[in-house]
Amino acid sequence: MQSKIRTKFLIYFLSVVVVLISFFPIIWLFFTSLMPAKDIYAWPPNLFPSPGTFNNYIKIFNNSPELLRYILNSTIIAVFTTVTIILFGGLAAYALVRIKFRGSFAIMLGMLAVSMFPNIAILPAIFIVFKKLNLINSYPSLIIAHTGLFITMAIWILANYIRTIPFEIEDAAKMDGCGPFGIFWRIILPLSKPGIFATGLIVFIFSWNEFPLSLVLLHDNDMRTAPVGISLYPGEYSFPWETISTATFLSIIPVLIITGIFQKQIIGGLTSGSNK
Amino acid sequence: MEERRFRLQLDYIKLHRNTQIGYLFVIPSLLVVTFVLVYPVIQAFLYSLTPEYSEDSEWSLENYFNLLDDDRFIESFNNTLIFTFFTIPAELLIGLVIAVLLNKEFRFRGIVRVAILFPWALPTALNAIMWRWMFNTEFGIINYGLISAGLIESKLNWLGKEPLAMIAMMSVSTWKTSSFMALLLLAGLQTIPKDLYESAEMDGANGFKSFWHITIPLLTPAIIVSLLLRTMDALRVFELPFNLTDGGPLNTTETISLYSYRVLFEFVEFKYGSSMVIIQFILILIMSLIYIKSIKNIDY
Repeated sequence: MQSKIRTKFLIYFLSVVVVLISFFPIIWLFFTSLMPAKDIYAWPPNLFPSPGTFNNYIKIFNNSPELLRYILNSTIIAVFTTVTIILFGGLAAYALVRIKFRGSFAIMLGMLAVSMFPNIAILPAIFIVFKKLNLINSYPSLIIAHTGLFITMAIWILANYIRTIPFEIEDAAKMDGCGPFGIFWRIILPLSKPGIFATGLIVFIFSWNEFPLSLVLLHDNDMRTAPVGISLYPGEYSFPWETISTATFLSIIPVLIITGIFQKQIIGGLTSGSNK
Repeated sequence: MEERRFRLQLDYIKLHRNTQIGYLFVIPSLLVVTFVLVYPVIQAFLYSLTPEYSEDSEWSLENYFNLLDDDRFIESFNNTLIFTFFTIPAELLIGLVIAVLLNKEFRFRGIVRVAILFPWALPTALNAIMWRWMFNTEFGIINYGLISAGLIESKLNWLGKEPLAMIAMMSVSTWKTSSFMALLLLAGLQTIPKDLYESAEMDGANGFKSFWHITIPLLTPAIIVSLLLRTMDALRVFELPFNLTDGGPLNTTETISLYSYRVLFEFVEFKYGSSMVIIQFILILIMSLIYIKSIKNIDY
């Protein structure tokens, strides 16, 4: 009995520690963004914003309107990348697990192998190609790059979901005269909605967070994505922290919301491929 | 006879048609992967064989020989290895503890599961910026916490002193990715049938014994997969030093990725920089092969 209580205590103690450590930097960031500059540069540090103020948020929209532009850029890139990957990756995943044509296994393995390529290794050549195509500092360059970077992972996750769709449904559709594309569009896509949703969320987060390619391909100030734009704020270390923390918090809000609401789907998608 | 030939022909046509449609469905993905991943790596390899400085030959290993004399490259190589070899075990250990915790049934488990997802889901670049402020010497909360707890006497210059900056970088990485490790390991734990533990308990095994003799062996594949994924990530770490320390002090936190980025885009030496990314590519390849081989060696 006593050891049971001890185990219980240990579980709750560990839980509290894990939750605190995970959330602390995010909460600290939020608190900092609510403090006026004089409270931020203080020793000992102020632990709570008292009194809290939204002045930093108002100031940032007046003084550095480019932040909204960064967030807009990130959104455009992430949305287009996600849609392209679901469409292309869905077709490929369906073909690879259900049509099982000659070479499909080799393609599946090849996809896994190239997904291990380090993203820095592709930087020099991809920069030169996009430069020749005159696509540096334009959305398509980064959308194409992100699509290539994350589609292999998406195909693996989608393939695991499509595998679970019963063959009988497909056969019935075939009897009714449905072609392969019809089956994909009318049967596979609707039935793998949860998988598509999970994959879409993960791809969106990955695209929103990606750094090196965004840094190199979209380097003009009004084309930067949110992580790049904030990390290249002028002056680097001298730039006021009340602005940086506010900008950082604003640009993680989309990820915070998505993760908070859809954590089950994200975890399901992330872990579905690892046990195969 | 006639009928058999006909059937064979039919089967062949069916196979052929499926193959055509299969290729048709896979082609968009293959094209984009080839364009974004396969072609650039081949091209980087070709660049790396083109001499950056000398003009006398079209192809040579000059860039690679120059790498050996480039102290800054050797240091970035070492930094990357040190970073990887310290963070990965720490992440595995913490990830394992969290995974075992989350595999127990208790109230508020859902909260813990969401909480650990946030560090992973946020952009590393912005995580690094958040932590840069927390590590600040003059006003940082970390110095305040350590001084209040009596662990240090005066403020430490976390991001500006030699071993400290690397330790700071490792801590941020561990904070960010232990949760990812935990989720992969948890998925592995959930596949272990519960009755194995029950029968072990009947045989008189205690918690630790059954963890060592049941959990660890059955979890090994999941452990290796998560180690593989994390090691590949750690070997290419870029935005963390870029935003946390800028590679400093004195390049002690400069990784291969960060140095090659600088050679490529700040010094604009594309051919020399390409030889660095190829070395990094080979390093990651070798590490992956070691892991993959060790998965194959586990027999069930």
